[in-house]
Amino acid sequence: MTTKGNRVSPAERREWWLFLLLVGPNLALFAIFTYWPLVYNGYLSFVKWDMLAPVKIWVGLENYRFLFTQAEFRLIMLNTLIFTIASVVLTGSIGLAMALLLNQALRGRDAVRSIVFSPVMLSGAAIGIVWIYIFDPRYGLLDMLLGFVGLDSPNWLLDTAWALPAVIIVHVWKTVGYAVVIYIAGLQAIPRELYEAVVVDGGGAWARFLHVTLPGLSPVIFFLILTTVLASFQAFDIIKVMTNGGPVNATTTLVFYLYEQGFVAFNAGRAGVASIVLFVLMFMFTLVQMRYEERNVHYA
Amino acid sequence: MTTSSPEVLRETTQELQRPAATSITWVGHRHGLVGRIAAYVGLVLCVLLIGLPVYWMITGAFKTPQEVYAIPPTWIPLQPTLANFPKAWNSAPFERYYLNSLIVTIFGSGFEVFFAVTSAYAFAFLRFPGKSFVFLLLLAALMVPAQVTILPNYLTVARFGWINTYQGIIIPGASVAYGAFLLRQYYRTLPREIMDAAHVDGASHLRILLSVVTPLSKPAIVSFALLSIVAKWNEFLWPLIVTNTKDMRVLPIGIYWLMVEEGTIDWGVVMAGTLFVVLPVLIVFLYAQRYIVDGIAAGAVKG
Amino acid sequence: MLEKTLSRRTLLKGMTAGVGVMALAGCAAPVAPAAPQGQAAAPAAQALTLVLWSSFTGKNGEAETEVVRRFNESHSDIQIDYQFQGSYEETAQKVTAALQAGTAPDISLLSDVWWFKFYLNRALAPLDDLLEAEQVDLADYQDSLINEGVRQGVHYWIPFARSTPLFYYNKEKWAAAGLPDRGPKTWDEFMEWAPTLVEMEGSEMKTAAFSHPDGASYIAWLFQPVTWQWGGKYSDPDFTMHMTDELTVAAGQFYKDTVHTYKWARPTKDMGADFIGGLTAAAMMSTGSMGGIKANAQFEFGTAFLPEKDNFGCCTGGAGLAILARTPAEKQPAAMTYVAFASSPEIQSFWAQNTGYMPVRKSVLDLPEMQAYFEEFPQFKTAVEQLPLTQPQDSARVFVPNGDQIIGKGLERITVQSEEVATVFAEVQATLESEAQPVVEALRAIEG
Repeated sequence: MTTKGNRVSPAERREWWLFLLLVGPNLALFAIFTYWPLVYNGYLSFVKWDMLAPVKIWVGLENYRFLFTQAEFRLIMLNTLIFTIASVVLTGSIGLAMALLLNQALRGRDAVRSIVFSPVMLSGAAIGIVWIYIFDPRYGLLDMLLGFVGLDSPNWLLDTAWALPAVIIVHVWKTVGYAVVIYIAGLQAIPRELYEAVVVDGGGAWARFLHVTLPGLSPVIFFLILTTVLASFQAFDIIKVMTNGGPVNATTTLVFYLYEQGFVAFNAGRAGVASIVLFVLMFMFTLVQMRYEERNVHYA
Repeated sequence: MTTSSPEVLRETTQELQRPAATSITWVGHRHGLVGRIAAYVGLVLCVLLIGLPVYWMITGAFKTPQEVYAIPPTWIPLQPTLANFPKAWNSAPFERYYLNSLIVTIFGSGFEVFFAVTSAYAFAFLRFPGKSFVFLLLLAALMVPAQVTILPNYLTVARFGWINTYQGIIIPGASVAYGAFLLRQYYRTLPREIMDAAHVDGASHLRILLSVVTPLSKPAIVSFALLSIVAKWNEFLWPLIVTNTKDMRVLPIGIYWLMVEEGTIDWGVVMAGTLFVVLPVLIVFLYAQRYIVDGIAAGAVKG
Repeated sequence: MLEKTLSRRTLLKGMTAGVGVMALAGCAAPVAPAAPQGQAAAPAAQALTLVLWSSFTGKNGEAETEVVRRFNESHSDIQIDYQFQGSYEETAQKVTAALQAGTAPDISLLSDVWWFKFYLNRALAPLDDLLEAEQVDLADYQDSLINEGVRQGVHYWIPFARSTPLFYYNKEKWAAAGLPDRGPKTWDEFMEWAPTLVEMEGSEMKTAAFSHPDGASYIAWLFQPVTWQWGGKYSDPDFTMHMTDELTVAAGQFYKDTVHTYKWARPTKDMGADFIGGLTAAAMMSTGSMGGIKANAQFEFGTAFLPEKDNFGCCTGGAGLAILARTPAEKQPAAMTYVAFASSPEIQSFWAQNTGYMPVRKSVLDLPEMQAYFEEFPQFKTAVEQLPLTQPQDSARVFVPNGDQIIGKGLERITVQSEEVATVFAEVQATLESEAQPVVEALRAIEG
C-alpha cells in the first residue's frame, strides 16, 4: 500500500531514495527505449515519411486505410495466423508426447532431455542456415529421408506452397524443447496419489492420462499456448535467413513486414501501423496470460 | 503447482539435471517388455528428430566441396577434411566477431542481471510511496516486445550518435522486466528470519542485498543470467539493424553475411562458420547444467 | 562436381598473379589522375581517409578491393576505407539509415534503382565543379551511361559498374543437343531448341533449358527488355504506367508459359549457381556475372545478344558512384579523385576484364590490352557490342520507390505461383501508380 500525501515518514523517504537508486536506471531505460517508442510509433502511423526527407507529411488514417484494404497485408496476417496456430499445435502436441516419454524412468533419459532442449539455446540465424542445406531438394538430408519412403522432396524454399511449412518446421524444431521442459515440470507437480486413486478404481493408462495427467497439466498447457503464441509473433531470424519473406510473400509475417517496411522499403508510416497492430495483438495475449498467472500466483 | 513463467524456468533448469527418479507415469507402474521397447524406440526417435540436423551441421563442416554436394548425401564424411574451418575463419573476421559478441553479451547480460537484482530487491523489500504504480509500469514493459520498438529506437540511437557502436547495440536492450519479476518472486521465498536478523544487526539495505539476499538467491540469479547470456549471444534483429560495418558485427550477423557473401556454393565452409557461432553456447550449456546442479546442491540456506 | 570454391585469399592471389601477366603484356601501372588543383593538398603524412560503401561479393568483390588497393597505393594523401554493405538494396538501406544517423559514407555505390531516391532527397552532391577540378574527360564516357546520372544538366551519378542483360549458354549442353554454337536469334527459335535442352531425371527436371530469377535477383530488370521485344513496356518517362498494355501482358504470358505450359524453364533462387552447376542450359544474366562464371564454370560457355521477338530490346543496368551531399566540402575533391580513378580507362579496363561489367569509357575499347582480351575472350566482346543497342530503363522500375521489387514480386507470382498475368499486372500497375505519386510531386518541387 502506498502512503499518500505529505505524511511520509523519514524512513520511507530514505527508502524512496534507495528505491530511485535501485530501480531508477532500469526505469529510465524503459522510458527511453520502450514507452517512448510506443508513443512515437503512434505518431509515425499517421505520417508519410521515407526516413530521409526532412519533413514528415501528416496523412491521417491513410496508412491504416492502405494496409487494411490491401490484399498483400491480408496475406501477411493470414501467414502470421497459420504460422502461429501451426506452431502452437505442433509444439504443444509433439512436446507433450516427448515429455510423457521423457518423464519415465528410462536409461539415457537425461541425455535425451539435454539433446531435445539444446536447439532452444542455439542461434536462430545459424540454425536457419543449417536448415537451408537440409531442405535442398537435390542434395539435402530431407530429400534423402523422403526418398526412403518413396516421396519426392518439394522445392521447399522456392515453392510458395511449401516455404511457410518449411519455416514452421524449423521454428517448431527449435522451440519444442522448451515445451518439453515445461511439460515435465508440470508432470512432476502432479501428485502421485491421484494416479494411485485411478489405479485403485481400476482405470487403465488411458484413463490415467485423461483424468489425471491432462487436467493436472491444464495450467501448464495454457501457459505454453500463450508463450508459444507470443514467440511465434516474434519469430524473425529464421525467416530472414531462410526465405527473406519470400517466395513472393509466402513467408512474410507481421514482424517481417514491419522490418521490411521500416528498414527495406523505408515506409515509416506503414511500419508504424504494423508495429501498432503487432503490439495490440501481443498486448491482448499478454493480458490474458497475466490475468491468468496472477490468479494462480495468488492462489499459490 | 508450476504455473508462472519464472517458476517454470527455475524448475526447468533444475529439471534437466534431476537424476532419473522413479516417477509414476500415465502409462503405468510397470512396463511390459513391449512397453519398454516402445519407450526406447521413442527415445531414439526423439534423438533423431532433434539431433539429426545438429549432426548434419557438424558432419557437413568436415565434408569436402565435392562430398557436400554428393547425391545421395553421405552419412559420415568419406574423406573428412579440416580445410573448411580455416577457410571459414579467413573468409570473415571471426576473431572480431567473437570479440564483439563477447563484449555485447557480457555487458548486455551484466546490465540485465544487475538491474534484475536491484529492481527485484526494491520491489520485494522496500516500502515506498507509489510502489504499486511503479510495479505496474514495469509490468507494462513486459508486454512490449522488442520488435515493436525497433524503428523509433533506431531513430533515437541515431540521434545519440550511437549507430554502429557497442553502446548502440547494448543499451536499448539493457533494461529488464522479466528478470526482475523472476528474482522478486524468488526473494519472497527467502526465510524471513534471516532478513529480520540482518535488520536487527543494523545492516543497511545495500549490505543486506549484497551479503544476504544475493548469496541466498544464487541459483535463481545464475539461472536468469544464463538465460540472458544465451539470449544476448543469439540476438539477431537489433544488431542487424544497428551495425553497418564488418568490424562491428556480432557472430549471428557475421554468419548471416558469410552466407550472403559466399553464397551457397560451398556448404562445408558455411557449416564450419555456423559451428563457430553455436559451439560456445553448446559448451556453456553442458557446463551450465553441472553448475546449476552445484548451485542447488550447495544450497542457498547454507551459503 | 563443384570444385569451384576458392577461398577469398586464393582468389586474391590468383588475381594479382593475373594482373602481373597483364602488366607484362604491355599494360603500364595505372596512371594516377592529376592531383586536384587549387586545393591545398593535405600533408602527405596526414592522409585524408574517405569511407566508401559498396556491394560486390565474390570475384567482383575481390576486383573492387584491388581497385581500392591500387588507389591507396598510388595516393599517399588519400586513403579509401572500403566497406562492404551487402546487396545493392542493402547498401541503399544502410545509406538511408546512416543519413538519419549522420554516419553516412563519403562515397557510395548506388544501383540504377536507388540513386534517384537519394537525388530526390537532395542527399547527393552535384559533381560538375568537382569533375572540372579533377579534369575528368566527360566526353570519353559512354554517352548513354553518363547521361543516366544527369538531372537538369547536373551530374550526380558516375557510371562505374554498369551492365546489360546478356544471353549465356552452356556450350556442352548445346553440343549435346546438336544445336549450332550460337545464341538463338529469336525467342521463336529458342522455343524450338529449348525442349531438346531439357534433361529429366525420373519425373523431375534436372536441367532446365532456361531459368528465371526471383524478385531479389532482379527479375524485373531482366524481364524489362523482354517486354520491349514484345513491343510493350513498364512505363513512360512521365510515369504513365503500361503494365496492363496488351503487349506487356503478352510478354508476361510468355514468361509464365515457359514454366507452366512449355515446362522448359523454372524459377530459381541463384541463377549463377544453377548455370555453373549445369542445372540450366541457358540464362539471361548480367554481364557483371561473367567474371564469376568464367572463374567457376567447368565448361565452355558462350554469350549472345538477347533473342528478339518483334523487336530487339536490351536495357542498361548496374551501379554507379555518388558522393554524398553531407561529405564535408574539403573532402569532396578527394572523393572525386577516387570516383575519377575508379572510372578511369586504366581501371575500367582491369575492372571490366575481371568482372564482365561494361567499360564505361570509350577509350578503353582501343587499349591494346582490351583488344587482346577481346581476342582471348570473345564472350566479353559480344557484351560490349550489344552495349550501343541498349536503351535507358523504364521509370516504373528505376524511379518509383521499390518499383523494381513491386514488379519483381508480381513476376514471381506469375513464374512461381502461376497466377493470371492480366490480374497480377493490373495489381502491379495500381501499386506502381500510387507509389509513383509522391515522386511526381517531389520532382515537381525540385525540378519544377
